[in-house]
Amino acid sequence: MLKVFKYTLIDLLRNRFVLSYAVLLLAIGQGLFLLEEDPMKAILSLVQVVMALVPLIALVFTVVYIYDTQEFTQLLAVQPMTRRSILLGQLLAMCVAMLVAQAFGLGLPLLVHAPGSASLLLSLSGSALSIIFVVLGALIATRLREKARGVGMALVVWLLFVLVHDALLLALLFTLSDYPIEPWIVPLAGLNPIDLARIIVMLEIDLAAMMGYSGAVYKNFFGSNMGMLVAALIMLLWALVPGWGAMRAFQRKDL
Amino acid sequence: MRLPALLASLITAAWCNHAAARTWRVAPGSGSLQQTIERAAERDTILIEGVIAEGTISIEKPLTLIGKPGAVIDGGEKGHVVLVKADDVTIRGLTVRGTLVSNLYDYAGIHVNEVHRPAIEGNTLDRCFFAIYLSGVQGARVIGNTVIGDDALEERMANGIHLWKCKDATIEGNRIEKHRDGIYFEFVTDSRIERNEARKCVRYGLHFMFSHRDAYTNNVFEENGAGVAVMFSHHITMTGNRFATNRGGSAYGLLLKEINDGEITRNEFTDNTTGIMVDGCNRIHVEHNLFRMNGWALRLYANATSCTFIGNTFSGNTFDMSTNGSLMLNRMEGNYWDRYTGYDLDRDGHGDVPHRPLGFFTMLVERMPHALVFSRSLFVSLLDRAEQVVPSLAPDALKDDRPLMRPPKPQA
Amino acid sequence: MTERISIKGLGKRYGRQWVLRGVDCEFSPGEVVMLIGPNASGKTTLIKCLLGLVRPAEGSIASGGTTITSGAAPDPAYRVRIGYMPQISQFPGALTIRQLLEMMADIRGIAPGELDDELIEELGLRDQLDKRLGALSGGTRQKVSAILAFRSRPEVLVMDEPTAGLDPVTASRVLARAGRLRDAGGIVLITSHLMEEVESLADRVAYLQEGHLRFLMPVREMLEITGAQRLAVALPRLLSSNERTTVAQ
Repeated sequence: MLKVFKYTLIDLLRNRFVLSYAVLLLAIGQGLFLLEEDPMKAILSLVQVVMALVPLIALVFTVVYIYDTQEFTQLLAVQPMTRRSILLGQLLAMCVAMLVAQAFGLGLPLLVHAPGSASLLLSLSGSALSIIFVVLGALIATRLREKARGVGMALVVWLLFVLVHDALLLALLFTLSDYPIEPWIVPLAGLNPIDLARIIVMLEIDLAAMMGYSGAVYKNFFGSNMGMLVAALIMLLWALVPGWGAMRAFQRKDL
Repeated sequence: MRLPALLASLITAAWCNHAAARTWRVAPGSGSLQQTIERAAERDTILIEGVIAEGTISIEKPLTLIGKPGAVIDGGEKGHVVLVKADDVTIRGLTVRGTLVSNLYDYAGIHVNEVHRPAIEGNTLDRCFFAIYLSGVQGARVIGNTVIGDDALEERMANGIHLWKCKDATIEGNRIEKHRDGIYFEFVTDSRIERNEARKCVRYGLHFMFSHRDAYTNNVFEENGAGVAVMFSHHITMTGNRFATNRGGSAYGLLLKEINDGEITRNEFTDNTTGIMVDGCNRIHVEHNLFRMNGWALRLYANATSCTFIGNTFSGNTFDMSTNGSLMLNRMEGNYWDRYTGYDLDRDGHGDVPHRPLGFFTMLVERMPHALVFSRSLFVSLLDRAEQVVPSLAPDALKDDRPLMRPPKPQA
Repeated sequence: MTERISIKGLGKRYGRQWVLRGVDCEFSPGEVVMLIGPNASGKTTLIKCLLGLVRPAEGSIASGGTTITSGAAPDPAYRVRIGYMPQISQFPGALTIRQLLEMMADIRGIAPGELDDELIEELGLRDQLDKRLGALSGGTRQKVSAILAFRSRPEVLVMDEPTAGLDPVTASRVLARAGRLRDAGGIVLITSHLMEEVESLADRVAYLQEGHLRFLMPVREMLEITGAQRLAVALPRLLSSNERTTVAQ
């Protein structure tokens, strides 16, 4: 596994796509900090970038990379090692590559312009999202044989997480406003890793609003150790369950 | 003041200055402070060293009490610590502690009652119930004191600097922490509050009730239950203050309730749950303030009328505005809104299309507070964009017709 | 010691479509078998089953102590004995040839030895070792693929269109190398379209059509039956004789 990881990572760190991603993030991050006089405002804009762009790139990149290296993966699968270690090594390398790109493109400007807990939380939740969406990408790519379908599915999944889920919840909130639905909204939103990541960052950045009458409820929850533990657990499940699914599919797959 | 009395006091003052304004020294083991006060003549000075613990010290003639470094007056929780009942008393450089906590009486570290021109300067009020209490005082000077309360239960806390029925007071450069209200004004007129810092007060950093024609300038209010509350008052001028990190369920940077003719200029509101709450006010003029990173920069209730908001900067707030009704009888013009997405074709510095600070999401959260969880989600920002183009929920009159394209330069 | 490979009743389907069915045959140490057949005849599927890339739907492949069935994938010990020279259109583009060789040596747990040097020299790759794989031409990729296959000194070597894209000289060198493996007692399976190039090398020819093994017979026998001098002539004659011949060893 470590051998596959090592060489895949070497390949990925020189990969044009990964490099462009890092540079793109850096341009956005640095650009926002230069444009905005108020670093907090730049962070606010970066939140939107992280919550939308990072999952999209992680998904599409993983899907495309897995399809493009299919032949080489076959060659690896003929070598004396388990498929488990092949996929694990590749997945790990893709995660690390995404994280390195993010650390360079996002972490660096955050560290230089706005060191602090908001930046730290943004980086951490961005990293969690990268990992989760790399794994989801792997699940898609191992289950669908055709590249075009895989990329299409990646886009659908991204839309589901980034837009549709929130839209449905808001619709739910509207239509069921006569019922005591409100306490369920936060847990339901928290099931979506993007929403969860956003809430955690918002609790820091929009703390002032969150301390208001309704926000205090989840401030109390997520602000507590228990809440953070639950959040981390949900994130972990979002990485482990699709990861397990991808592994199962890959091990049974006809390459 | 009657003329003979004035003359008498002037003559006395002159005589004292010229003849024999004595200086007394009091230290533990060398005489009692209370006895020295009684022995001293008017206008004498008493220098205090060490810890004086004689219960309540009562001053009934014009005297100057000066503490040397480390000097403490400890009231031993018997009532007030220092009680001032004469005009022209100065208390300087002392640490005062040991007030009695009571539900019946307003015991204070320094209690000043029905006098003129007391000067309370550079003292430390250490965990007092009320710290400095002025009642019926004219021309008080409360300057450069450090007033730190106790981390007690709120029922056992009282106000830091408390003024009741006073006039022409100057409250300047004090630091107040951990009291109920940092500075409390009730029936106080024509007074100035400058360069004070109030932090971690459980209720308000500064609280006005029925007080008129006062001005507070260049103060800092941080991490209080609410920064400043102005209630049932008129002609209050608020300039150059900083309201920061006043957060909580009913926390405001500045709470305005039933007040008229206020001036709010060049203040900074940062990181408060609500920057300014305007409830039932008339003719409030809000100009050139900075609102950044607040939960709600401005809560403007529909019962507010003829208020003007000009040249303010709204940046990075979760919500720039909210209201509770559909009526809007106030004016907004030439503010900078970081959410403004319009354009300025004629290049006059003002956007060509109006800005509607009440977004879809704001209205949604007003109706369903839990929707706050979607703050800054992609879906919600798309909806907000749509609301700017096709307004459907917000009161139509609530808009800025000439939004600034750039934040205005900070004014000196 | 190389073990024989016996394939019994092997079948594979994707959905309802059988791409391989009822294949019985054996491959013995010291022979080169050429797999031929039209497109979509099941050659690739057969190879992939042998390599453990594809799980059969029915039947089994047995070699040594390992049996590949629908239930069990081959263990790493089986793969140690197998070499594979695929046609590869995309290696990890940012790695150099040297890094790829290191990676595979790492995975196989072998130190880069003389064989590599010799082969690298022979295929003229010496000067290109530090080139990125993404920048290689099809022919060079094929050379890299060959080196990877031979360097592990496999007992069983599977080559998928090994000469495609190679210049004639290199092609013959690669094939000669396969011949030497056979002479050393290995089993070599080659899929190819170009019979002239391999007929000198092949001991037997397996012909697949629509998922079935039409015949598997020694080259010599093919020529004898048809009275032809060359395989390219013998094959159509054999196929037009309507009988279905299967020769098992």
